[in-house]
Amino acid sequence: MPTPFIMPKMDMDQETVVINEWLKSEGDQVEKGEPVILIETDKITSEVEAPASGRLAGVLYGDNEEVTVTQVIAYILGKDETEADLPEQPGKKEPVVEESLPQAQPAAKPERARKSATPVAKRMAEAENIDLEQVPSAGDKITKEDIESYLESLEQVTSRVQTPATPAARRLAMEAEVLLDQIEGTGPGGRVQADDVTAFVAHTAERQLPHKAVFSAGETLPLSRIRKRIAERMTASYQTTPHIYLTVEVDMYEAEQSRKRMNQLSDESLISMTAYLVRVVAWALKRHPFLNAGFEDDQIKLWEDVNIGIATAIDEGLIVPVIHNADQKSIREISQRLRYLAEQARAGALTREEIQDGTFTISNLGMYGIQNFTAIINPPQSAILAVGAIQRKPVVVDDADTIQVRPMMMMTLGADHRVIDGAVAAAFLAELAGALETPEVLLM
Amino acid sequence: MPEITYRQAIHDAMVEEMRRDQRVFLMGEDIGTYGGAFGVSAGMLEEFGPERVVETPISEEAIIGAAAGAAMVGMRPIAELMFMDFIFLAMEPLVNQAAKARYMFGGKATVPMVVRLPSGSGTGAAAQHSQSLETILMHIPGIKVVAPSTPYDAKGLLISSMRDLNPVCFVEHKLLYKIKGEVPIEEYAIPLGLADIKREGRDITIVASGIMIHKSLDAAEILNEDGISVEIVDPRTLRPLDVDTIAKSVKKTGRLLVVHEAVKTAGWAGEVMASVSETSSWDYLDTPMRRLTGKDVPIPYNRHLEAAAVPQVDDIVREVLAMVNNQY
Repeated sequence: MPTPFIMPKMDMDQETVVINEWLKSEGDQVEKGEPVILIETDKITSEVEAPASGRLAGVLYGDNEEVTVTQVIAYILGKDETEADLPEQPGKKEPVVEESLPQAQPAAKPERARKSATPVAKRMAEAENIDLEQVPSAGDKITKEDIESYLESLEQVTSRVQTPATPAARRLAMEAEVLLDQIEGTGPGGRVQADDVTAFVAHTAERQLPHKAVFSAGETLPLSRIRKRIAERMTASYQTTPHIYLTVEVDMYEAEQSRKRMNQLSDESLISMTAYLVRVVAWALKRHPFLNAGFEDDQIKLWEDVNIGIATAIDEGLIVPVIHNADQKSIREISQRLRYLAEQARAGALTREEIQDGTFTISNLGMYGIQNFTAIINPPQSAILAVGAIQRKPVVVDDADTIQVRPMMMMTLGADHRVIDGAVAAAFLAELAGALETPEVLLM
Repeated sequence: MPEITYRQAIHDAMVEEMRRDQRVFLMGEDIGTYGGAFGVSAGMLEEFGPERVVETPISEEAIIGAAAGAAMVGMRPIAELMFMDFIFLAMEPLVNQAAKARYMFGGKATVPMVVRLPSGSGTGAAAQHSQSLETILMHIPGIKVVAPSTPYDAKGLLISSMRDLNPVCFVEHKLLYKIKGEVPIEEYAIPLGLADIKREGRDITIVASGIMIHKSLDAAEILNEDGISVEIVDPRTLRPLDVDTIAKSVKKTGRLLVVHEAVKTAGWAGEVMASVSETSSWDYLDTPMRRLTGKDVPIPYNRHLEAAAVPQVDDIVREVLAMVNNQY
């Protein structure tokens, strides 16, 4: 009958033992008293000797497995015995008597490992309870460095800090009120550096500028169709039309108040200042037909309709959707129409009709903080109104030289002198300014 | 301004102060006829006689003990040790007596003494005669530690050290003795505890002292060709440490490298870095603070290994490049 190889109990209170390494493999010839297994307990590393001479068979546990003590872990086959003689259910505990335990003696550290490792690496692996088989190694032997990087790879650090960043980057991000996790770090391990924050902030600022070009400096661009058309028309207009420019400054207090009241009266969509302006300009144009006229083929044509174009910046350039019959529309209709046209313009979905037959153009750069500018007339029209920002500034409001802070706005009218003389233009502009300052005149 | 050596600057400071103040005297081994292990006191015996240039037995404990006692009773001793390494033999009188007396006697006793300590490697003097032990001295409250890098600083700081009412350990790197620099003829003193910017720059701050100032300056020249602008701060006095000047520089450059010859572990580079991180300059750091120091080994005798054991110009260049290129 094969001799059972029993895992000895090394200490009084010991329950399990870890097989460090089998020094013999299944089928190897062993001599009684020869070390067969290196085991590890809480305290020491020991060798377990063969309980008998013969062939090692029926090994039930492999390297690094934890075994309950006093349990059969293998058998030693006698001279004429084969695997067929092994008990039916290997692994089933057999009653063991104390005196049959093989002698276990404290031994030196393992002298050889299945996977070649340096002595330091072996010692470290032992101390850290690492299976050397699991340690990746580039060289022939597992080294101290291999063990260290393996240990590091096992480490899963959960940090309170989500985004690695230098202190300087953190400070800059806080000052610029941007979130670090939005910023791509270029430092080691994706660490956000100060430069990354600066670049991110600069980039974001650029994007926030309306209609920022996605072009880079140094690039040469062929003219798009729309740019080509703008170039042709503006050049022609500037070269052939004798422009005169008149500027007026308007106190927008009443206009602002009036618009505010209108918006308070209704929950419907808000009325924009541009819509307000279009409405008043349309009223003024009706009273000054030469401003709503065209110069074509040496003739001046006074148009019946008042169709006001609104210069609108889009990514590709400039487009001028038109509010047709602006003089017949309510402010609310104008405002809604403007919003719709602006959306269509940005989506590139304006129809031919929506940009045709303009009789007068308003260009407003107030939202960019521009105070005052001049615009080029859009032929065959004969006038264009350039509108600046409303700015609160001190002005003299009466004959007693009282100074008040008022919301002031500059408007510059560009007019075709072939159609409109200075006095005509001035009369229009004065009436327009007056209507903005005293909205009641529209009712008179 | 005439150019003189670092050795001459220290010599001049002692001689001028001894002429000015009768209480000042020098004691040490072989400082008389022989002129000192590094020739600093050459000619002083002739001028001041054996009463004021005192040759001592070979006992560092006796030298420092006697100096501390003399200082407490109103003299102004300068004690020279042949090598800084021997300070361990005199730690008891220095640390437990000299450093404590003024405090323990409520200010009634003062200990105005200077201990001059030739330090550092580079002379092939091996492990027991090449150490940079300034950190150990910096750790002791009651001792001031001065480590000048130029003849100008050496003279001005030694004058202030001799006039200070506390024990001052004056660390002289051996390789500095032959370095030349401009020193004014007229009397001047440099206050203790003030750092000096040895080179202005914008990309990185190097804090260094002693011989490492000169290596850093050489490295800065090389780096300048790559367009990297290095600022070099010399604390000059290691204790008390002028954290303000260092922190200000770090705020400007956003990077800090501390270079010293003393070994890394528990070296004063760590003290500088920790101090900076306690200031508002922390928020301006854009790369981890780094230190380039002597290796954690005794200084080897073999001259190649000796050179490899402490930072050299190439090491500083490499470290700065890695830092400014965000490789850490």
